[in-house]
Amino acid sequence: MTTSATTNAAGVATERSSRRRGGLARPTGIPWILPALVVSVGVLYYCIGYTGYLSTLKWDGASPLQLQVGLENYARMFRDPIFWRALGNTALFYVVTFAVQVALGIVLACLLHSRLYLKTLYKVLIFVPVVLAPATTAPVFRQIYAPTGTLNTVLEGIGLGGLAQPWFSNGTFALFIIISVQIWQSTGVVFILYFAAIGQISPEVIEAARIDGAGDIRIITSIIWPSVRGTTIAIAILSAIGSLKTFDIPFLITSGGPTYATEFLGTRIYRISVQYSDVGLGAAFSIVLLLLAIGTAVLIQVGSRTREEKAGV
Amino acid sequence: MFETRRLRSRIGLQILLTVLVVPFVFPLYAMVQGSLEGLGWGNYATVLSLPVLPKFFINSALISAAVIVIVMFCTMTAAFGFSKLHIRFKEVYFWLLLICLTLPGVVLIAPLFATVTRVGAYNTLWAVIIPVAALQIPFTTLLARNFVDGIPSELIEAARVDGASIVRVFWDILLPLSRPIMAAVLVLVFINSWNEFLLALLFLQTPDQQTITLVPSFFVGQYNNDQTKVLAAAVLTGLPVVIAYVFLQRFFERGLAAGALK
Repeated sequence: MTTSATTNAAGVATERSSRRRGGLARPTGIPWILPALVVSVGVLYYCIGYTGYLSTLKWDGASPLQLQVGLENYARMFRDPIFWRALGNTALFYVVTFAVQVALGIVLACLLHSRLYLKTLYKVLIFVPVVLAPATTAPVFRQIYAPTGTLNTVLEGIGLGGLAQPWFSNGTFALFIIISVQIWQSTGVVFILYFAAIGQISPEVIEAARIDGAGDIRIITSIIWPSVRGTTIAIAILSAIGSLKTFDIPFLITSGGPTYATEFLGTRIYRISVQYSDVGLGAAFSIVLLLLAIGTAVLIQVGSRTREEKAGV
Repeated sequence: MFETRRLRSRIGLQILLTVLVVPFVFPLYAMVQGSLEGLGWGNYATVLSLPVLPKFFINSALISAAVIVIVMFCTMTAAFGFSKLHIRFKEVYFWLLLICLTLPGVVLIAPLFATVTRVGAYNTLWAVIIPVAALQIPFTTLLARNFVDGIPSELIEAARVDGASIVRVFWDILLPLSRPIMAAVLVLVFINSWNEFLLALLFLQTPDQQTITLVPSFFVGQYNNDQTKVLAAAVLTGLPVVIAYVFLQRFFERGLAAGALK
């Protein structure tokens, strides 16, 4: 597109004023993208390269003693049962958050496209958790599920005191609490994306379906769901990367416990690099996490393309 | 969208919506309510009377301001370059940026730590500003490029023909037309840098350098886990972003949606 634009500019230039021709034909854009490339690509690729180098060392992060160990750190990582546990937690976390957020996001987006009252207020309320830092909201979640916290008080209040328990001591509950906090935190984004996508479906199509006797659920499954496919794929990629990146929420609410039940790759990297001072092993985890993130993004992208082609045939 | 012609279905949908939104509000309600238990507003008075608190706010504000300036400058120049100027192997550079979108901040901690201590930036705000800016630029550039792609190239060509330099085109044509996306970038970057936790936790060690996101953990130590004070501190730290979001809500949603719909 830009190539045609520049030749256009050159064409116009020769007609009107040939003396500026050289300057107009090829205004090179390199200096314009340079700041972004230096600050972002420069810093980040430098860090990635450095991490790759660190992953071949046995180093505590402070002492001058650095020992070259080749791929030993990677071998140790794959032998680490917590690595596999963290991967499993990430997978479960991804599947549940993605499914719930997509369902909630679409329903909320449809509801807020209907003629209802106080829509802006509802939108703001759904989105406020997105803008709050996990560091800000973590204390309240610790408070809600604490042994003498809100949830247990409510359970006792309604006569279900038998169900009250220290929620964070149970691994399964702890993991689902982390998952629910993530859903609470980021459904707003999914909702906004669907809200925008549904706004682009022409109302006539929906009216026509309604005249043909389609109900609300039929309209969602047969018209809205296929029309927002691109958005759903974007959300699948975003939340896959988001799941792999998960750090703040488990770190601040459960610190990865009890006994690694809510350990994710991010919290594992922090624990190994900072608390155990095993920088080399932490770097090996980091490289694998990075490859997983890029790989997942590419896989979902390619997978959705091939399905599209099949659907086209 | 949904059937709302009959009053009964309309009320039903309103109730459904309310029921779905309650879980989003409940933790916020619990937060405010918890912060008012015991001493009531006295909890806020205690938190606000702490002499280091203004420092936390100032540091977060300084970090956010610096990150916004850096990201805005890099994003708008890059969006202009990628969208409207001739660059050989343009898409290669763009992909180099896009790959960084997948980068989790936590994988940077070891190399950053080594580098930051070597250049003497440990426990200075720059140790947080530069990496946070670097991590945001890929996404904001993607958003802004999509937006600038929608500005007709003819406008820029016309100005060039009239003798405007590239810098003037950028300043007098592109930037004024890009205000909506700049507002979206502004809010997005503000929220993300204000909320940054991990890098601040690692690199800012003394209370006079620390940021707002470290306040709740600071109070856990300070008040021996007095939940009411911790929650009051959390409410205070959350207020600026909520206010920023509520006031700039339209720009924010439009910007996010514009970037994702492409």
